[in-house]
Amino acid sequence: MQTKEITFKHVGQGIPRRDGDEKVRGLARYVDDLNIPDCWYGVAVRSPVAHGRLKTLRYDPAFDFDQVCVVTPEDIPGKNIVDMMGQDMPFLAHDLIRYRGEPLALVAAPTRQLAEQAAAHIQPDIDPLEPLYTLEEVIALHKTDRSKLDELSAQTIIKGSVDEGLAAADKVIEGEYWAGHQEQLYIEPQGMVAIPEKDGGVFLQGSLQCPYYIAPELIVTLGLPLEKIRVKQAAVGGAFGGKEEFPTLVAGYCALLAMKSGKPVKMVYDRCQDIRYSTKRHPAWMKYRVGLKNDGTITAIHVDFVLDGGAYTTLSPVVLYRGILHTTLGYNCEHVFVDGRVYRTHTFPDGAFRGFGAPQAIWGLESHMQECADALGMDAEVFRLKNYLRAGDKTGTGQVISAEMDPPAVMLETLKRSDFVNRRTLNTYGVPRDGKFFGVGVAFFGHGSGFTGDGEMRLQSKAALDLDWLPNGKPGVNIRISSTEMGQGTLTIMPQIAADGLKIPMACVDCPLPDTKYVPDSGPTVASRTAMVVGSTVYGAAEKMKALLEQYASDAFFGGHPCHLEDGVLTCSAVSQSQTFEDVARRLLEEKGMQRVVHQFKLPDTVVWDQKTFKGDSYPSYSWSANIVEVEIDALTLEIKLKKATSVWDIGRLMNPVLAKGQIEGGLTQALGYALMEKMGIRDGLFDADRMQTYVVPTSLDTPEFDIHFMEYPYPHAAPGAKGVGEIPMDGLAPAIANAIKAATGIRMNRIPITPESLWEAMPSTRKEIAS
Amino acid sequence: MSVSLRCVEASDLLLPGSLPEALAMMAEPEPPTPLAGGTDLMVQCEAGARKPPARLLSLKQLPELKGIDEADDTIRIGAGATHWQIRNHADVKVGLPGLVEAVSMVGGRQIQTMGTIGGSLANGSPAGDIAPYLLIADAVVEVASIEGTRQIPIRNFLIDYRKIDLKPNELIVAVTCKVLPEGAKEGWRKLGPRAAQAISKIMGNYRGKIVDGVIESFAVSLGSVAPTAIRLPEVEAFLVGKPLSEETIAEAERLASASVKPISDIRSTAEYRKWVAGRLVRGFLTSFTKGNEGSEGSEGCES
Amino acid sequence: MNPETERTWIINGEKMSVTFPPGRRLLDVLREDLKLTGTKEGCGEGECGACTVIVDGELIVSCLLAAGQVPDGAEIMTVEGLEKTEGGRLLQASYVEKGAAQCGFCIPGMIMSSYHLLSRGEPLSQPIIREAHAGNICRCTGYEKIMEAVSAAAEHWPKSEAKS
Repeated sequence: MQTKEITFKHVGQGIPRRDGDEKVRGLARYVDDLNIPDCWYGVAVRSPVAHGRLKTLRYDPAFDFDQVCVVTPEDIPGKNIVDMMGQDMPFLAHDLIRYRGEPLALVAAPTRQLAEQAAAHIQPDIDPLEPLYTLEEVIALHKTDRSKLDELSAQTIIKGSVDEGLAAADKVIEGEYWAGHQEQLYIEPQGMVAIPEKDGGVFLQGSLQCPYYIAPELIVTLGLPLEKIRVKQAAVGGAFGGKEEFPTLVAGYCALLAMKSGKPVKMVYDRCQDIRYSTKRHPAWMKYRVGLKNDGTITAIHVDFVLDGGAYTTLSPVVLYRGILHTTLGYNCEHVFVDGRVYRTHTFPDGAFRGFGAPQAIWGLESHMQECADALGMDAEVFRLKNYLRAGDKTGTGQVISAEMDPPAVMLETLKRSDFVNRRTLNTYGVPRDGKFFGVGVAFFGHGSGFTGDGEMRLQSKAALDLDWLPNGKPGVNIRISSTEMGQGTLTIMPQIAADGLKIPMACVDCPLPDTKYVPDSGPTVASRTAMVVGSTVYGAAEKMKALLEQYASDAFFGGHPCHLEDGVLTCSAVSQSQTFEDVARRLLEEKGMQRVVHQFKLPDTVVWDQKTFKGDSYPSYSWSANIVEVEIDALTLEIKLKKATSVWDIGRLMNPVLAKGQIEGGLTQALGYALMEKMGIRDGLFDADRMQTYVVPTSLDTPEFDIHFMEYPYPHAAPGAKGVGEIPMDGLAPAIANAIKAATGIRMNRIPITPESLWEAMPSTRKEIAS
Repeated sequence: MSVSLRCVEASDLLLPGSLPEALAMMAEPEPPTPLAGGTDLMVQCEAGARKPPARLLSLKQLPELKGIDEADDTIRIGAGATHWQIRNHADVKVGLPGLVEAVSMVGGRQIQTMGTIGGSLANGSPAGDIAPYLLIADAVVEVASIEGTRQIPIRNFLIDYRKIDLKPNELIVAVTCKVLPEGAKEGWRKLGPRAAQAISKIMGNYRGKIVDGVIESFAVSLGSVAPTAIRLPEVEAFLVGKPLSEETIAEAERLASASVKPISDIRSTAEYRKWVAGRLVRGFLTSFTKGNEGSEGSEGCES
Repeated sequence: MNPETERTWIINGEKMSVTFPPGRRLLDVLREDLKLTGTKEGCGEGECGACTVIVDGELIVSCLLAAGQVPDGAEIMTVEGLEKTEGGRLLQASYVEKGAAQCGFCIPGMIMSSYHLLSRGEPLSQPIIREAHAGNICRCTGYEKIMEAVSAAAEHWPKSEAKS
């Protein structure tokens, strides 16, 4: 499939989002807005300790439990496990408790108040055990006595001989980097409703990213066949990975309560519950050892990469894989050794969050590459451009960078757009000017698009197009995919793509929210894969539907002569006649009823990946970017202000520049929070910043001047040629800011978030002043 | 549809039509809890930090609490005046410019519209945005009960952590501030974890007059460094009569830092707060050397 | 339990009577009793601004207001009422055109802040527009497109809807 021969009419246009109108009118229905008659409310009885053994649950005899529905492990029709990786998490803890707040029982009642009252009258007796809470404690043991740690997953990447590479170096530069928990903080909290169906099945509707995670994962627990677990997406008020694997838990709680009570059961978390009892970004620690020649050549990269996984395995192995694959990404080096591990702690299981391991890895990588450049006395861009991957070079896993992309070109463009070489002459290097420190910093990075390795091959993603009657009463095409709209624009770009594949107006294409009753499994809405993989699958299906329509029109209207569909008109040159799409579709529907075509995604045969050794093509393709930031620090208070962020992005062909830019602005703002604000500690086993008053994210007054540009290098193996955009904006801002802070103050900050407090601690001059 | 019971939904709400009526209700054996803008009380009840009171007494509708009146050298602000009213009031802008700066940074516009000056004082938080200003404006708090009114200087009104000089049957009625004297300057600085809608890590206000390079008067206050907002009497005493030199500024910075004993909490650390307390004082003094703008500009310099 | 209170308000131009416990949050009265679910709850403590509505011309967060404190006859405007005004329609179109809504959950509150700002008729600048939306948290957009949408709507704001 050669994308360059295709011309696009809708793809590439900044078409306003399809769901915009209902959202600005307050008409979009999120799960808590659904009016479900006779709906009960569900709550969990949660463990008051982080680690221990549950002896028994005591029911207060004074409370009338007949008026509520209680679910304990004995009530679970199938197995009491959450069917995710490791299968180590029970739905309801019955013996070992591994985090504070772990559900022990569930309660549903006609009102939330009654459900909460009932839950308060169920008291657990627990023998407490010693908990392990923080990454700091984990790393102390990782360095001294790993036998005391519970390893959830481990993986290495080996290329060449890192010892040989280090031995050949003129200098070896070491550095450690830390990143803390980050909360997705979607504005709509987690929510789900389960409605028991007459056939014994259950219908789930809620705030979720991946309908085909929930349905198959609940088979084991609910003891129902897949076809009796129907999952439909309600409007989703933000997700960022936080509604990837986690909603399976809420769905399970609601489904268990609904199946036992026979009532619809809803759970909508309040903000505090949501922050305490849902997934976070994995805290990470990295140690880099990089061998350098005096001319700037990198001879070896050795990385220890450790994640705090929280209490259960869930998706941690995959986060680890994606993390380690980004720890050296972009740099050309013969000798690489990456040692990745995830250890268990007794906090809520960490999970998916935009970037999925890569923001942590690139935080370490791009901070350390700046340290290497500084150690050599080389300019930031000179060192990076000397070592950056070019077409024909091989990544740490041995993947050859294809000629269809040009990472250094993205860097060069960013340097030009930001006027980096001139602006950096203003760096203050520790001596403030007019009461301010000023620094310019750079980060240069890539992000894998789609599932790791040959994952997209194994996933066998499908998209269906239904020629059917649309809600407006006219014939048209419904896109049937399991990809969800959570703000990123799926409902808009898919009709753009389908309309271009079909050569019909966009008005004839609809994309309803997914419902497993109607949509095939297109894979999850994760991993920066939707535009690239599902978009291409929709495009393939559209081409099939176009062929079907042309065949039918040829037979039904043009006496068997071939015809061609273009701009919504089927034209047969042999008979010099034409018919509109609408007329042909109407007759086809009236004659034969709904027509469905299905297309399955395929990777090129050349993709080779070994999941055991982590050798080969680790991603179908890569997006690339450089972020160059200007940071100002008040010398009086050490308050840090991001003034300007210039960035250039190769995310393949742009499906919709307005939506793409929105993704990048939003992602950069979330990355700004990660870098400078969003801080979480553990207090008594719970996250201490568990409200929006204490978990502080950027406001409209915190964002910098954004200067955003695109360079399009389309992915050639999946028309229309998109690569990933969802995650990459999260990756580079933190190291760029840390590098700017170093240029401003001379101090390397190696822990995010970087705050005035941490900068104060790191600045020897400030400490002296206070001592005096 | 399930009906949830949230926040103060179970509380009774009294809606007196006048101040005397409200004071009569407050005189009952178990007085209700006053509710002004709700921006603290409702949050505390929602967050479970406070048990919802059995009875609430709404102050929002009381006409007696709303006025802002200028006298000779004072401005009397009704306890029910909202941050938004204060921020947009012509007399306050001229007479109490530092207060306008302070209220402009209380939450977003919604919170400014709802929150009142009396409510902020009654909440008694050491991180409250208003009390530090009232300290440098030598404010007097007027409280009332059916027994009469009391005029309490703000520095006596703030007793301890979340403890104020207000009896269970009393309501805060007004706050009277001294306007900025001729030739004096005042200003403000708040450090928070983000640029807007933040609870302060530390905040400070100053009001001072410098004549021919000599400090004639200087009042300075800080919030979030002690159980209540505080003035810095040692710093003030040191400064009066001194020339505005780097030597003076450095000593004031050292004194300020040495005179506070802040704590570490979720927003900041004790060490940083102690250091930056001195830095704010430095910034305030330095602002006199940089023309006539308010102190909100961070015109600090590194020694 | 406290006694129920009855109030008659003008909500989005329509007279509506509703009975509720007076301590009930205005947000719950709007969403649950009046089924005006356009207004959202994101935090319950006045931080996110998703529940922002306009009561008698004042911009407030409905999660921190006891509904009993809203007097009879009060005029309440929620996101559902925007389209009844020329300025509201203009703002909605501008939000859609500029891509200001992504997940959309903050928008019912955000756009009320926009409407309040523009209908006040205060002199506008980029810093003022930013400051006027600082009480509304958006996690998707980075605020850029929202600022663009408000600026664009301000240029064509109907004079009849600008006070002062």
